[in-house]
Amino acid sequence: MNKNLRPLLVSAGGMLAALALWQVTATGPMAGGPLPSAAATFVQLAGLVANEAFWAALAETLVISLAGLTSAAVVGVVTGVLIGSFEPVRYATLAVLEFLKPIPPIVILPLVVLIFGPTTQMSWFLVFFGCVLPIIMQTVSGVHDADPVTLDTARSYGLGRTEILARVTLPSAMPFIGTAMRVAAPAALVITVVAGLLGGGPGLGLSIYQAQAAGDYPVLYAYVVVLGVLGLSFQGASRLAERRLLHWHASYREVLPA
Amino acid sequence: MNRKLTNWALGVGTPFLLVAAWWMFSENSTNTFFPPLGMILERFQALWLFEHFESDVMLSLRNLVVGYALATVIGVGLGFVTALMPVARWALDPLIHFLRGIPPVALVPIFISLIGFGIEMRLVSITLAAMFPTLIATVDGIRSVDSTLKDVSSVYRLTRAEKLAQVYLPAAGPQIASGMQVSLQVAFVVMIASEMLGSSQGIGAMTLLAQQSFMTSDMWAGILLLGVIGFGANLVFEVIKNKVLAWYVGSKRLARS
Amino acid sequence: MKLQEKPVTVNNAAAVPPRLEVTALSKTYGSGPSAKCVIEDLTFTIGTGEVVCIVGPSGVGKTTLLKCLAGLQPATSGTAAIDGRTIAGPPAEMALVFQDYSRSLMPWLTVRKNVRLPLRHLRLPEAELNQRINTALEAVGLAHAANQYPWQLSGGMQQRVAIARALAYRPEILIMDEPFASVDAQTRFELEDLCLKIREDFGMTILVVTHDIDEAVYLSDRVVVLGAKPARVLDVVDIDLPAPRDQISTRALPEFAEQRTMVLSMIRKPA
Repeated sequence: MNKNLRPLLVSAGGMLAALALWQVTATGPMAGGPLPSAAATFVQLAGLVANEAFWAALAETLVISLAGLTSAAVVGVVTGVLIGSFEPVRYATLAVLEFLKPIPPIVILPLVVLIFGPTTQMSWFLVFFGCVLPIIMQTVSGVHDADPVTLDTARSYGLGRTEILARVTLPSAMPFIGTAMRVAAPAALVITVVAGLLGGGPGLGLSIYQAQAAGDYPVLYAYVVVLGVLGLSFQGASRLAERRLLHWHASYREVLPA
Repeated sequence: MNRKLTNWALGVGTPFLLVAAWWMFSENSTNTFFPPLGMILERFQALWLFEHFESDVMLSLRNLVVGYALATVIGVGLGFVTALMPVARWALDPLIHFLRGIPPVALVPIFISLIGFGIEMRLVSITLAAMFPTLIATVDGIRSVDSTLKDVSSVYRLTRAEKLAQVYLPAAGPQIASGMQVSLQVAFVVMIASEMLGSSQGIGAMTLLAQQSFMTSDMWAGILLLGVIGFGANLVFEVIKNKVLAWYVGSKRLARS
Repeated sequence: MKLQEKPVTVNNAAAVPPRLEVTALSKTYGSGPSAKCVIEDLTFTIGTGEVVCIVGPSGVGKTTLLKCLAGLQPATSGTAAIDGRTIAGPPAEMALVFQDYSRSLMPWLTVRKNVRLPLRHLRLPEAELNQRINTALEAVGLAHAANQYPWQLSGGMQQRVAIARALAYRPEILIMDEPFASVDAQTRFELEDLCLKIREDFGMTILVVTHDIDEAVYLSDRVVVLGAKPARVLDVVDIDLPAPRDQISTRALPEFAEQRTMVLSMIRKPA
């Protein structure tokens, strides 16, 4: 019992020590500077929680992230299935997709802002763009990965194209899609924040930008704390969802297939 | 055979076709958002290859390379300490996981407030933000080193240095590498963000500036360059990774077949 | 039971001085009501240059015993000693061949580098280092595979790499944990003979844990029979078979059948 308790105590001690270090640094050597104290930050955090504008920004951030993610999932899976079902199309798109994949959405941010302005659509489009490519590529791999023996069996039983798609191809691609979604969900939040911070889109990203521009450092730090908690919940929720939805799958994979 | 050739031709041909189509359809474009590709390339050449090569392109790349290298060294080093010392792990784990939840770009305003808008800020932002994926992957990788391998190292009385460098590091190598690949993406994004947010120098700053002053061809040239850098950096990483982890790639391929 | 009370190893102890001495060794995992006793009061000795096999039903804690002997785990009570020195950590004169070859070799090193890894800190002159590696690889018949990776080899070959690694280390005492459990029958015979050849060529003291009674009788000078949970010594059987042993003629001897029946009946007997 005592032994199990020790890691917890040390963890709590580590957190407390970090907070104490922050507090001491902010009130001692850096007093009056840009580093707000931990206490001041948490006071502001409490203030935010009581503030309606904060909840509005939070809601906007969540709506944009989830809307971008959902539309990317729908478009990505449909496109992925189409590309994966026709070999010539798969080959034709391979190089293009491989080229675009490592390019983060922040690269096209200036163009998207130019077209849409600092709006919800702009943020949504950026999230969509950032999430859709990995989902397409994973779906293509998943469809391509479908067991040829199962496919042949299905065909020999006279199953039609749509039936095969619904009963064989899609289920076998599910773990791939699941992995893509698990990675895409936290990414959607990050991109929403980027769109707000750099492109002026609504939500917490914009709030951070305004706090920084106004030199309101305790509020800035409070927002970053909020984003940390939010980021963790996105990661946790997507991992949990994947495990819940896909635990039945024989080839359920914990690691991203490379 | 014939089919293979067709597929190959499709793979190579499509990108060229797309570029050609872009060229043709944009040639007489008067749309402010989509200037002719020819004009974009002209600006690309003028801006990046000559005028701003040293002052902006090299500056961005240097920040990216130095920041990323620092992030890797610190991430792997700290990962080793955290993974191998239980007390350090218990103390740092919650903190590390909280910090990793923060979108990396959100750290940039904090560093701006602390250090200002200089190169130091950009370097610190890149380093710290890019450190976490490598750090976490290193901890996971070392903690999942096979217990038999640890026993082997003990039985043969490998020195501590040998255990670290010859057993733990290579055994955790594949996981560290995938963390490093994520770190590279983060470093690249934060490089752009730190330039867009707080600077008048660098490719990101130039691109945003061009957008704000409606010089769309310049903006497109910047997007093009950033795209090429993002793709190129990942390509270089993949090549090195496949070389260093050839044993891993080989054994995986063998296991699959 | 009479058998158990007879002072073990009396015959051989007089002939060969004990090299490895296990005295009243016990190992318990956990404490309090959830404690699990894996080994209880084990006592036996192994003389210099002997081949001794430990047999017992699977899951009886043989691997735990080896980990105690190799200094990877501390015993709960009792001692294991080499030349009278209690084993507290991995002893310098000992090498261990693990059961699971696929996990005991470094997949990122070639066969040659795997064999070389434990020798690095011995600071041998380059010529001797290479000579040791070559001798070891030749002894296991893998000189041709030196530059391949373990995962490119068959299971039997991988286990031979592990043995070569132990050989090149030149231990005085070689311990093997079910070394041939997961290779095919033909390879198994080859590896058994390799084990005997090692004793001849290098004069090593060898301790093999196995659940295969035929193998134990074939290889050993003596067989230590362990009884079920928690593991304790049921008996130590001296094996009297002529040397050199041969897979066909030795196994055909009536004495072979006799001795294996004896060991088998001891294991099957309800404790």
